[in-house]
Amino acid sequence: MNVPQRRNDVSGEKAREEDRELLRRYHDRGDMTAREELIERHLPLVRSLARRYAGRGEALEDIEQVGAIGLIKAIDRFELAREVSLATYATPNVVGEIKRHFRDKGWAIRVPRALQELNASMSGAIERLTARLGRSPSIGEIAEELKTSPEEVLEAMEVGSAYSTVSLSTGPGGEEDLDPLETIGGEDEGFERSEQRAALEPALDRLPPREREILRMRFEEGLPQTQIAQRVGLSQMHVSRLIRKSLQVMREELLRIPPGAAG
Amino acid sequence: MNQPAEREFIELEAPLSGDFQAVVRLIIGGIAERVDFAFEEIDDLQLAVERLLAEAGQVGSVSLSFEIVEDGIRARVGPLSTSAIAEALADGDGRPGVLTLRRILQTVVDSFGVETVDDGRVVVRLVKRKGIA
Repeated sequence: MNVPQRRNDVSGEKAREEDRELLRRYHDRGDMTAREELIERHLPLVRSLARRYAGRGEALEDIEQVGAIGLIKAIDRFELAREVSLATYATPNVVGEIKRHFRDKGWAIRVPRALQELNASMSGAIERLTARLGRSPSIGEIAEELKTSPEEVLEAMEVGSAYSTVSLSTGPGGEEDLDPLETIGGEDEGFERSEQRAALEPALDRLPPREREILRMRFEEGLPQTQIAQRVGLSQMHVSRLIRKSLQVMREELLRIPPGAAG
Repeated sequence: MNQPAEREFIELEAPLSGDFQAVVRLIIGGIAERVDFAFEEIDDLQLAVERLLAEAGQVGSVSLSFEIVEDGIRARVGPLSTSAIAEALADGDGRPGVLTLRRILQTVVDSFGVETVDDGRVVVRLVKRKGIA
């Protein structure tokens, strides 16, 4: 049996060749399936780079989503004449996108700690109440559960939904104590079905598979957040935030896509 | 919580700049909380207004009004640029599969409509009822 080191070299070389073939199919023939495959193949790179920026007041999954935009830009802009591998070319694009995101959102980190903590505990409270009541709870009910005022709950909601300053792995109790990365790997495979459907949608195409699937469930199937949350194994708050961010990203991307480039 | 006995009306004018979107969301949350909207319903109404404002651009200001009615909230957002909103509210026939503002609004509010105001711009009306998924 050969030593693993040799095997890694070969598979690296092979992977680069496969990348180039996929890039050719995408750039020369407009094969969107090849583009999809390239995105999938390099998402682990995005996750690995995103992890470097974890713990800076931004949810890891959000950083990954931003990084994925950088990856997609790299795939779209890659010139086949280049001698570099896609991974090499994509890395500064992904990191650049993440850094730009932090620069743009940097001011948000000044959110008071008490609100951050309230936000972190809110998600668990909403899940408990939803299970107990069999419906989405009101703000008053959430406030009662957390022994605070409705106004503070509303403020804490903003901390999470608008600025994403709370890392999802820091909350006390509830499912969000899980490392988001633990759930991502398994889910992506399950979303292959919807990727094909999404191939026609130029802006949707810019999103990671899970976000696309969430949007599809919300706006195509018309499922409420509570049900989507159950299906994808995330909290309602997290689903809400992903929907909001995805729509924002899509709109920004849509504005950048030149007319006629969607096919 | 508070059951409105009479017509209650809140009106504000906010800059379209993204810096104030969180403030608008907070106000919507506060109003919706008064009529005991569920977390999810508040989120829906906030998303509807947020997406409308995103289409309206970043320059100038916009008026928002919220009327608390027996079964929910009626909101008015505008005046907004006709061209931006008309395109966004188109049914998407020209762009198959694209997730349009129309589709988003159809999902998150119970009804919506557009009315043209004096200067040719438009106001978007939204209705979000309580207790309807």
